[in-house]
Amino acid sequence: MKPPMHIAKEKDTAAIGFPLVPENDQQAVTLSKMKDLQSSMRSLMVMLDNCTKCGNCAKQCHSYLGTEDYFNFPAARAELMRRIYKRYFTWVGRTFGRFAGAEDFDDETLNKWLTYFYQCNECRRCAQFCPFGIDTAEVTIAARHILSELGLMPKFMQGIAANMEKTGNNMGIPIPAILDCAEFMEDEMLEETGLSIKIPIDKPNSDILYIPSSADFFTNIDTMIGAAKLFHYLGVNWTISSNILEAANFGLLFNLNVMREHNERLKTAAGAVGAKLVIQGECGHGWRAAKMYTEGSNGPVDFEIIHILEYCAQHLEKLPLKKLPMRVTLHDPCNYARAGEIIEQPRAIIRACVTEFVEMTPNRENNFCCGGGSGILMDEMMEIRMKLGKKKAEQVSALGKLDYLAMPCSICKAQIPAVMKHYGIDNLSMGGVMDLVGKAMILGKN
Amino acid sequence: MLFFIGQVFPYLAVGVFIVGMIWRVGKWLRVPVPFQLTLSPAPVTISSRFGKVCGELLLFPSLWCGDRGLWLWAWLMHVSLAMVIGGHIVGISSIGLQFMDIGFTAGQSLALSALMGTSSGVVMLVALIILLYRRTAVPEIKRLSDPADYFDLLLILAIVVSGLHMRMTSLNVDLMAIRAYLGGIISFHPIPIPKEWIFVSHFFLVNVLLIYIPFSKLVHFAGSIVNQSMLVAPAPVYPSPIKTNSANVSAKVRLWEGGNSQ
Repeated sequence: MKPPMHIAKEKDTAAIGFPLVPENDQQAVTLSKMKDLQSSMRSLMVMLDNCTKCGNCAKQCHSYLGTEDYFNFPAARAELMRRIYKRYFTWVGRTFGRFAGAEDFDDETLNKWLTYFYQCNECRRCAQFCPFGIDTAEVTIAARHILSELGLMPKFMQGIAANMEKTGNNMGIPIPAILDCAEFMEDEMLEETGLSIKIPIDKPNSDILYIPSSADFFTNIDTMIGAAKLFHYLGVNWTISSNILEAANFGLLFNLNVMREHNERLKTAAGAVGAKLVIQGECGHGWRAAKMYTEGSNGPVDFEIIHILEYCAQHLEKLPLKKLPMRVTLHDPCNYARAGEIIEQPRAIIRACVTEFVEMTPNRENNFCCGGGSGILMDEMMEIRMKLGKKKAEQVSALGKLDYLAMPCSICKAQIPAVMKHYGIDNLSMGGVMDLVGKAMILGKN
Repeated sequence: MLFFIGQVFPYLAVGVFIVGMIWRVGKWLRVPVPFQLTLSPAPVTISSRFGKVCGELLLFPSLWCGDRGLWLWAWLMHVSLAMVIGGHIVGISSIGLQFMDIGFTAGQSLALSALMGTSSGVVMLVALIILLYRRTAVPEIKRLSDPADYFDLLLILAIVVSGLHMRMTSLNVDLMAIRAYLGGIISFHPIPIPKEWIFVSHFFLVNVLLIYIPFSKLVHFAGSIVNQSMLVAPAPVYPSPIKTNSANVSAKVRLWEGGNSQ
């Protein structure tokens, strides 16, 4: 079995601190890493021990529904690790073997892991529908962590980790380019409103540190402009740090030590500008990593961390908004609706910004993932990604004519337009929620 | 052999069950939860968190939302199991006369007891057969299932069938002798097991099940509570509350350790 994505080369994984483990040692290292995780992460053992194989998750997983590949059925995916766990870590598995569902580690084990744990979007929808609350994303996170410790990771993840290490953003944008882009957006806003609205970079003594998604500096500039207009109108003292231009934390998606480094960068950057409030931009897993993992991996945090949509919703009453004549729906990013408590805020904001808001079905915490989540946006996986997005296309096409699809997450913003095109849904513009705020806000000459 | 099955094995089984469960659950609880797994929208107060976990335990709302057919049979199976366990505890001690306490006559109490016991047993039998059928009929579940998954169902089915057999043909079984025997077991003065073969097999299989539970997926009744509790944990608050000395312990536990060990 050949994994569907490009695997990072040996010298590249070594360059980011994950030298390839020789094939002969792979089994021993895998088992020792599994043991480490079992003794440091309660979720893993509990979730491997308690599946009754009722199969309720099959119909809830967009990955299985889209690909119809048995190993993308959440229980079967978790089973890839569960069988090894039973064989080497439970006496029932050691004694009764296949009878009890135990399986030997063999040549195919790691290839299967690479193939299928990278077709899970870690969206947690299975946890929502599992009667025991088994969260396959926990198993996926553990498996990807182990694979990366063996020096096995997609080229895509390795490239992002290398860029993050070098520049603090996943696209590897150097400081001059950041300043350039900020100036370009300032000019745009000046032209539109006649006002000098700043996007301050590395401004010392700022009260607020804003962490956008780096894509907001290139492909999704309307999201950045929306946030800048909001800060401008509220008259707050804010800045962006060139050391952490990226809310996304790809460490969560392939190696937990890398995640910890990135969270440390967040703490350092906030300290450097003196911010007491860190606001995270429109990025799904970045939000989860910052909110749910910073304290656990990096110890106590002495500043507040909130999300731009929470912040905007808090100040919504004050904003000079004029409703745009549009029919709009919202795609709830998984990491907001199931892992980050951001459910009603984007709805309140959209209702204030447009004339007609419609819900897709299912929605909120039951929404289906876009199919790009957990950083599997590799081009070489395009065919699989389109299958993973099939449910999303069905949900959107069921709504009839729409003007705008709001998807406040950079990964959704990269994945959904490709999905819509693939399934022939056109005449629909797509973007973030802050984009709408920026457009609906009356500032200056508008 | 009968001495072993009647006077030794029951104690062994209960001992293994209790120690096994403590060991199994203790093994989970010893491991820290480095990161909150809060599944939103999460309940905010302690009582609503408790309510959510108990609600899941009693009514299986997740299954209801996902698959109504599975919910029906799984729920009926577990409810009738609870009825049967409750019936054994109450019914054996008072031989079907328990409803006299709430104003029924002896005859009515016996009839009601028999009706409830038999109907619970029959419902459980039907539900188990349907769940077994489902395991073989749904292709992905069939592929997922191991021999052990069928063994679980067949073991419980055998217990239900032998139990129902005694009830349906209760004239042939000396209930008073069985009651005296069980009384002896419970009061730690075991007497020889009555030579009612159907009872001996029923009782033996129950003991096998008790031993089997802590080491199999049947442990899910306890695992579910441990797992659900993680999903309803409150999300971290920032800035982090200032740690007092007593809170330092939890700060240490929360620190990520596994990823660091080489």
